[in-house]
Amino acid sequence: MSNNNQREQINELDQSYWAYVKRQFKKNKRAMFSLYVVGFLMIIAVFADFIANEKPLVAKYQGKTIFPIFKSYAVGLGVSKWPKELQNVKWSTLDYDYAVFPPIPYTPQNMDYANTEVGPFGDQEVKSARWRHLLGTDELGRDVASGMIHATRIAFSVGIISMSIATLIGVLMGSLAGFFGDTRLRMSRIRFILNIIFFFFGIFYAFSSRSYAFSDAAAISNVSLLGQILISFLIFLLIMGLANLIAIPLKKVPFLGKRMSVPMDLTISRIIEVFVSVPRLFLIISIVAIIRNPSLAIVMVIIGFTSWMGIARLIRGELLRVRSLEYIEAAQALGFSDTRALLRHAIPNALSPVLIAIAFGIAGAILIEAFLSFIGIGVPAETVTWGSLLNVARSYTRLWWLAVFPGFAIFLTITFFNLIGEGLTDALDPKLKK
Amino acid sequence: MLTYILKRILIFIPTILIISLITFGISTNAPGDPVEQMLAGGGNNTGQSASLLASEKAYLELRKKLGLDLPIFYFSFSNSATPDTIHRIPKRLHRQNLSRLVYDYGNWDKIEGYYKSIRQLELAAYDVPKDDQNATALIKIKDAVNALYMNHKTNLIDKNFNIIDERLGDSPSLAVVRPIYENVKSNYQTMVDKSTTWKNYIPSLKFYGTENQYHRWFFGDKPWFRDADPSTYTGAGFIRGDFGISYQDQRPVGSVIWDAVKITMMISFISIIITYMIAIPIGVFSARRKGSVADQTITTILFVLYSLPSFWLATLAIVFLCGGDYLDIFPPYGLGEWSESNSLFQNIKTRAYHLILPLILWTYGSFTYLSRQMRGGMLSVLGQDYIRTARAKGLPEDKVIWKHTMRNSMLPVITLFASVFPLMISGAIVLEIIFSIPGMGKVAFEAIVARNYPIVFSVMMFSCMLTLVGYLVSDILYAVVDPRISYSGGKK
Repeated sequence: MSNNNQREQINELDQSYWAYVKRQFKKNKRAMFSLYVVGFLMIIAVFADFIANEKPLVAKYQGKTIFPIFKSYAVGLGVSKWPKELQNVKWSTLDYDYAVFPPIPYTPQNMDYANTEVGPFGDQEVKSARWRHLLGTDELGRDVASGMIHATRIAFSVGIISMSIATLIGVLMGSLAGFFGDTRLRMSRIRFILNIIFFFFGIFYAFSSRSYAFSDAAAISNVSLLGQILISFLIFLLIMGLANLIAIPLKKVPFLGKRMSVPMDLTISRIIEVFVSVPRLFLIISIVAIIRNPSLAIVMVIIGFTSWMGIARLIRGELLRVRSLEYIEAAQALGFSDTRALLRHAIPNALSPVLIAIAFGIAGAILIEAFLSFIGIGVPAETVTWGSLLNVARSYTRLWWLAVFPGFAIFLTITFFNLIGEGLTDALDPKLKK
Repeated sequence: MLTYILKRILIFIPTILIISLITFGISTNAPGDPVEQMLAGGGNNTGQSASLLASEKAYLELRKKLGLDLPIFYFSFSNSATPDTIHRIPKRLHRQNLSRLVYDYGNWDKIEGYYKSIRQLELAAYDVPKDDQNATALIKIKDAVNALYMNHKTNLIDKNFNIIDERLGDSPSLAVVRPIYENVKSNYQTMVDKSTTWKNYIPSLKFYGTENQYHRWFFGDKPWFRDADPSTYTGAGFIRGDFGISYQDQRPVGSVIWDAVKITMMISFISIIITYMIAIPIGVFSARRKGSVADQTITTILFVLYSLPSFWLATLAIVFLCGGDYLDIFPPYGLGEWSESNSLFQNIKTRAYHLILPLILWTYGSFTYLSRQMRGGMLSVLGQDYIRTARAKGLPEDKVIWKHTMRNSMLPVITLFASVFPLMISGAIVLEIIFSIPGMGKVAFEAIVARNYPIVFSVMMFSCMLTLVGYLVSDILYAVVDPRISYSGGKK
C-alpha cells in the first residue's frame, strides 16, 4: 500500500524533472528556433518525393486520373505494377489532360541535356519559369535543388540511424559496466567458462558457418537479409541459453560451483579505451573504402559502431555515481530492490547527458557522411548527396552554385543540431540554474 | 605518480595488441589482391602454357616474398570441411570460389580434384597450337575455363560446360583437349554426388604456430637478441621498427611515412602556435566583457566558425580564390617547389605563399574550439570566491585577470595541447586531400584507396599510439598543473 504511494511520488518527481528541463529548454530562444528548423528539415526529408519529383502529384492521362508518386511507392513495395503505357516514360513530356507537378519538377537523377552547367540566374532553355532549375544544374544537367532536397533525406537518415545504433550499443555497454561494476556480477565458475566457450560456438553456428547464407540473401533483397540476420541472432541466443542450462546441473560439483565475480567494468572500460584510441575518421575511411558494394546502410552501421563510446562512458559514470547517492539508498530502504532502483531511476537520470551527446552526435555523423561522399567513397556513385554535389564543384570550379548551396545545407544542419545540443546542455546543467 | 604512469603504460600493451589485430583484420578481409596489383601489366595470359606457368610462378614467388602464402593467424577457428591448406591456393578469386564450393559441398578432396582438373584443362588449352580454325574457339574455351574457376552455381557451371562442349567440335586440333575436359566433368559430378555438407557444421580449431602473416608483420621472423644472416629472414617486424615495404613504389614504409610526417608536423606546429596566440587573448577579452555587444558578437562568430565544415570552406576557397573563373589569389594545390637554384629566401617565400590558405583552414577549427574553452574556463573562475577576495583586497583588475584568473583557467587549455596532436591527423586527412599536400593524411588516404596495406597498418598504429600517449600526457599534465588531482588513489 505505502509502497504504491511512494512509487507514485517518485514518478511525479521524475516527471517534474523532465518538465523542468523542458521549461528551461523552452526559455532558450536559439535552441527552440533550431528545434523548429530541424523539424522543418525533417519534414522535407520525409516528403522529399513529393517536393522534388519528375512525376506529377496528380494528373489526368488518357482519360484516367493517376497519382504517380503514390503509385511508385506501391510499386516499390511490390503491391502494384505500372500499367503498360506508363512504363519507362518521360514524365515531363507526356500529353496530360491536366497535371499538377511538385514544386521542383525534377528527380535528382534526371539529366537535362539542354541545360548542363547552367546557373540559378543564368539563361536556361526551359518551357517556362515554372520549369527553371532554381539552384542550377551540374555538369550532367541534373537539377541541384532536387538533389539537395533528396540529400536531406540521406543526411537525416544517416544521422538518426547511426546515432540510434550508437545509443543502443552505448547504453547497453555503459549500463552493463556501471550496473555490475567489477564485483557485482557473480556466477559459478562453470557457468562463466561455459558462457565463454559457448560464445565462440554461438558465433560459429550463428554467423561464420552461415556467412554465405547472408551474401545469398543480400543478393535477393534487404528484407531477406534482415530475415537471415534475425535467424542468426535466434540461433546465437539459443546456444547461449543452452550454455546456461548445462551449467545448472554441473554447478552441484563443488569446485565448478564455486562462485566468482566477473570484472564487467574493467572489461568494458578496456574495450572503450581501444575504440577511443583508434583514429575514428581514418578507421571509417579504411572500412568504407575496402567494401566492394558501397551502400548507405554500411556507412550508417560503421558510424554507429564507432561512436558509442561517449554515451557508454556517460551511462557508466552516472550509474557508478548514482549508486552512492542518497535517493538510491532511500529507495533501497523503502524496500525496492537494488536493480529496480538503478534501472528505474539511475538510467533515466543518466539519459539526460546522453541526449546532449546524441544531438552533437547526429551533427557529427552527418558531417562524416558528407565528408565521405565528398571524397567519393561510401555511397554509390549515382546517389546524390550534399557531399557528392560539393565534390563536383572541386573539379568544375566554374559552377559556384555547386560549391555554395550544398555546403550551406551541411553547415546549417550541423549548426542547428549543435545549437540544440547547447540548449540541452544549458537546460540540463544544474550549475546554471539561477 | 610514477607507479600510476607505469601502470598506464602497461595497459598500453594489450590495447596496442588489440588495435594491431583490428588493423590486421580489416586488411585481410579486404577485396583485391596486392600481389596481382604489384604484377599488374607484367604477366599476360595470351601465350603458351609455359608463359602462363611463368607468370604464375612470378606471382607465387612474389607472394612468398611478401609472406602472403602463410596462414593468417596463430590459429583458426573454422569448420572441419575447410582445409588448412586453402590459403596456399594462389589467386584470391580462386580461393574465394573454392571456399564457397566447400560451403556448398563440404568434401575438400573431391573439390581439390575438380580444381586441379580445371587447371589441367587450362594448361592443355594453352598448349594447343593456334591456327585460323581454332582461334575463336580457343579464346571462348579459355574464357569458359576462367569462368569455371570463379563460379559455384550449378547453372553457371553447366553453361560454361556447354560452351566448352560446343567449341571443342570446332576444330580437329582441339581433340587432345577433350579427354581432359571429360575428366573435369566427371570430377565435377563426383564432387556434387559425394557432398558432405555436414562437415561445415563441425567446428575445428587449428594451430599454425608463429609461421603466420600476423606474427611476421608484427613481431617479424628475424631472430631476437642475436645477429643473423639477412637472407634467412624477411623482416624484423613492426615492433622492432621494420614497417615493411610499400607495395606501390617498393620504398621502405618508414621513410615514406617520415617524409609525410615532416610536412604534417610542420603545418600542425605552426597552426598550434597560431591557435594559442589568437585563442587565449580572444577568450580572455570576451570573458572580461561578458554580456557586452563585443562578447556577443565574438561568441556568435566563434560558434558559426566552429560549425563550418572545413572541407566546405576549402572548396569555397578553391572555387573563388584559387584562380578558377573568379579570383586568383592563392595557388590551388601543392606546397610549391623547393629548388636548390633559388635562394633560401625565395624558397621560403614560395612555401609561405602556398601555405597561407591551408594554414588558415587548418587553424580556424581548433582556434574557435580553444577560444570557447578559454572563455568558459575564465567565466567559471571569475565566479569563484577567491577572485572576489582578490578584488576585495584591492588588487588592480589587470592583476586579478592575468595573474589569478588566467592561471587557473589555463589549466584545461594547456592540457588540451596533448590531445591536439592526434586530432591533427584526422584534420590532416581532410585538408591534405583537398589541397594535395603530400602529408600523413594524403599518404594514408592514397594507401587505403590503393590497398597499400603496409602503409595503412603503420599509419593506423602510429596514430593509435599517438592518441594513447596524448591521453597519458594530458592526464599527467592535469596532475602537474593542478595539485588537487592525484592518481595515487588508494594510498593511506
